[in-house]
Amino acid sequence: MELQYSREGIYVAAIDLWLDPQNSQGAAWISHAHSDHARHYSRTVIGTGISLELYRMRWPAKEEWGQELRVLEYGEEMEWRGARLRCIPAGHILGAAQLLIEYGGERLVYTGDIKKKAPLCGRETEVVECDHLIVESTFGLPVYRFLTREQAREEIAGFARECLEEGATPVFLGYPLGRGQEIVGALTGAGIRTAVHGAIAKYIPVYERAGVEFGDWEPYEARDLKGKALVVVPGMRRQLEATGVDVRVAYVSGWARVANARLRAGAEKLIAYSDHAGYDELLELVEGTKARRVDVVHGYTEVFAGILRERGIEAEAPAGARGRASEEEAE
Amino acid sequence: MSATMDGLAGVLERVANTSSRKRKVGLLAEWMRGLGEADLVRAVRFLSGEPVAGAGDRKLSVGHAVVREAAVAVTGVSVEMFRMCHREVGDSSETVGLLREGGAAGVEVRLEEAEQAYLRLFQERRTARKVELLVGELGRMRPLAVKYFLKVITGNFRVGLQKKLVEEALAKATGRAGEEVKGASNRSGDLGLVARAARRGELAEVEAKLFHPLEFMLAKPLDEVGDVGEAGQWLVEDKYDGIRSQVHFEQGKVRIYTRGLEDTTAAFPELVEEFERVGGRGVVDGEVLAWRDERALNFTVLQQRLARKKVDAGVRESVPVVFVAYDLLYRDGELLLDRAIGERRGRLEEMGLRVSPQRRLGAVGEIEELFAAARGRGNEGLLLKREGSVYQAGKRSGDWLKVKRAYGTLDVVVTAAEQGSGRRATMLSDYTFAVRQGERFVNVGKAYSGLTDEEIRELTKVFRGIARERYGRVTVVEPRVVLEVAFDGVQKSPRHKSGYALRFPRIVRWRRDKSAEEADGIERVEELYARSLA
Ligand SMILES: [Zn+2]
Repeated sequence: MELQYSREGIYVAAIDLWLDPQNSQGAAWISHAHSDHARHYSRTVIGTGISLELYRMRWPAKEEWGQELRVLEYGEEMEWRGARLRCIPAGHILGAAQLLIEYGGERLVYTGDIKKKAPLCGRETEVVECDHLIVESTFGLPVYRFLTREQAREEIAGFARECLEEGATPVFLGYPLGRGQEIVGALTGAGIRTAVHGAIAKYIPVYERAGVEFGDWEPYEARDLKGKALVVVPGMRRQLEATGVDVRVAYVSGWARVANARLRAGAEKLIAYSDHAGYDELLELVEGTKARRVDVVHGYTEVFAGILRERGIEAEAPAGARGRASEEEAE
Repeated sequence: MSATMDGLAGVLERVANTSSRKRKVGLLAEWMRGLGEADLVRAVRFLSGEPVAGAGDRKLSVGHAVVREAAVAVTGVSVEMFRMCHREVGDSSETVGLLREGGAAGVEVRLEEAEQAYLRLFQERRTARKVELLVGELGRMRPLAVKYFLKVITGNFRVGLQKKLVEEALAKATGRAGEEVKGASNRSGDLGLVARAARRGELAEVEAKLFHPLEFMLAKPLDEVGDVGEAGQWLVEDKYDGIRSQVHFEQGKVRIYTRGLEDTTAAFPELVEEFERVGGRGVVDGEVLAWRDERALNFTVLQQRLARKKVDAGVRESVPVVFVAYDLLYRDGELLLDRAIGERRGRLEEMGLRVSPQRRLGAVGEIEELFAAARGRGNEGLLLKREGSVYQAGKRSGDWLKVKRAYGTLDVVVTAAEQGSGRRATMLSDYTFAVRQGERFVNVGKAYSGLTDEEIRELTKVFRGIARERYGRVTVVEPRVVLEVAFDGVQKSPRHKSGYALRFPRIVRWRRDKSAEEADGIERVEELYARSLA
């Protein structure tokens, strides 16, 4: 299948379908609801039910615009302009999916953002064999290896307990969609009193409807910061530090793998857990698909494509695909 | 039970993951408390970056190239890949540790074994063998131990803050007073020795030892002339723009150390000759300066001298250097740190060295005039030293005040922004900036950091909104955003249209309150350049 890479996204011309376009198109597949992937008002939008629900919350629309949302759940298939589309779990955030396109005897998989290890929330990634793979490489350098979800849970709860025992307030910085809810789940699951910032809390009902269970939590309130863990968006760190309350900040992220993240994030505790695949996971994923051709589209594209070529896989970093304008969710 | 490198690495990792100094000291002390004497001494030596006892000022000579070569062999990545990872991580020891996780699990290594490994590395003179030895060690250790094993070698621990932390933890672990430990450490410069003495309760017996650089006393900047209080309590000297140095000497043996506690002796043979002629033993604090016609030359001249591998007669002739002494810390068995400045100065003057001229401040109003005179002599500014004060090694003390104009700051306008790499790949984090020249803006430099992630993210949005053109990773923007940059000097540069470049520019802040019209003009840059030649 011929693909067209540009700053607007990836276009599969043969079936007139865009993959995570950056602006409004005719028909688009959204791999997940992070705003650097789902930021447009395309005519037809295909995605998992959860992705579409989250997308609608973040990008509301009026009915008269006539936008058509088409649900394609994990494992389901649909016919699309002579192709067969199939939806496969991607593990990145709740609702994240890969898309398998079968057309003209060829199998193409687009991973979107993907994680290979089991996530704290949501379905684990499935690896499907294909001929041609489009994969991301946010963490495509061999220094990036991440904690398992069990280790992450332990680190998150352990840090919170330690702070609370010493009379300090543990603060976790999490992006509004994905990381934030995962941290809330880890904390409340360990029985730790937790207050959640509104930007994160507003998506919790979606998680609950999807079957994710949270323990008790309370809404974040600026006047009451003691005796509990806080889960807030990164922009609030300074504000919290200015309150005079003894706050201790943890940074849960793939970037937290490297010590210099401490300074850059303004955190004292680093927890290297990501909703993206680490280096080993990426290799495992690519090799698992047995793809003969691989396009690397995000992050260390050139480097990672080079690594794949060394392993005998025909891989490249399509020129037009880079420089995607990422929003707050660098992950 | 003997302590392991893994135990040390584990506790240091926990220390890194907490910001409170008290908790850092507590964690380290708790671990130290459980160690036998020999292991305590080893651990403290490792932490002070001197893993081989008695090595003196001879280095382990395991440079970055050796570490890189060993890392590549152990982890199986290419040199190119290692470089890339190193750039991302910013620290070679950490990079190797992280990459090492891709390999075998490794085994526990006792501190004693690590010490033997350091010793073998130290004794081995052939680089190729050093690499082989290192490959063997890194390959069998666990990844986290690898990281800290290397940090000991690469000198990561030889920073002042770390040393104070170790001293405090040692005091806590052995139940001794912090001041006692610190005093012994300052006297001897040998933390391993101090650790043993602390365990045994013999701190008072630790003696001063030559050829271990002491920490330097530092001055606080004086912001307002009015802050000095009563004029009569201050002694005034010029502040020189050279290399702050400490000279140790004892019957023909001379060593010169910088503030980074680096040994620069080889670069200055004429100073060695001078101190060889001084009798007895001593430690003198002062400044190495390039010198001609009784005045200091520009710092860049001195740098040329430092850059030379071989110092022959020609170099000595073309860039003559002198040592200007201003304090005496030790003399013939006596440590003078706790003596009043007047006494130290008196004994210094008896030694026949070139001494920095000193006078008493008559009135606060004189400061401006003295400052101008010092600048006129080509010096950086003034130092005010409090009458009767002691030498507070390792402290930035209010007993010394420096009067020094920052070389300068400029309000500049960003003309282009470049995409960062790695984690900042989606942000515009590197900025080319300009000053006004009539109606136009002409570039004077480029700077990389200094802003927080939040600010960079916000600026990225702004730049995308005012983008004019893109060339690959570089986005040319409309000249609207004003930044305040600090820098160390101005030099001529054919690279920029302005004809000038700022040395070591760094971003101080984003001046949201200023518009491009309010940015500095080229005249100001020219003026600063002219001043640097004066
Ligand atoms: Zn995402």
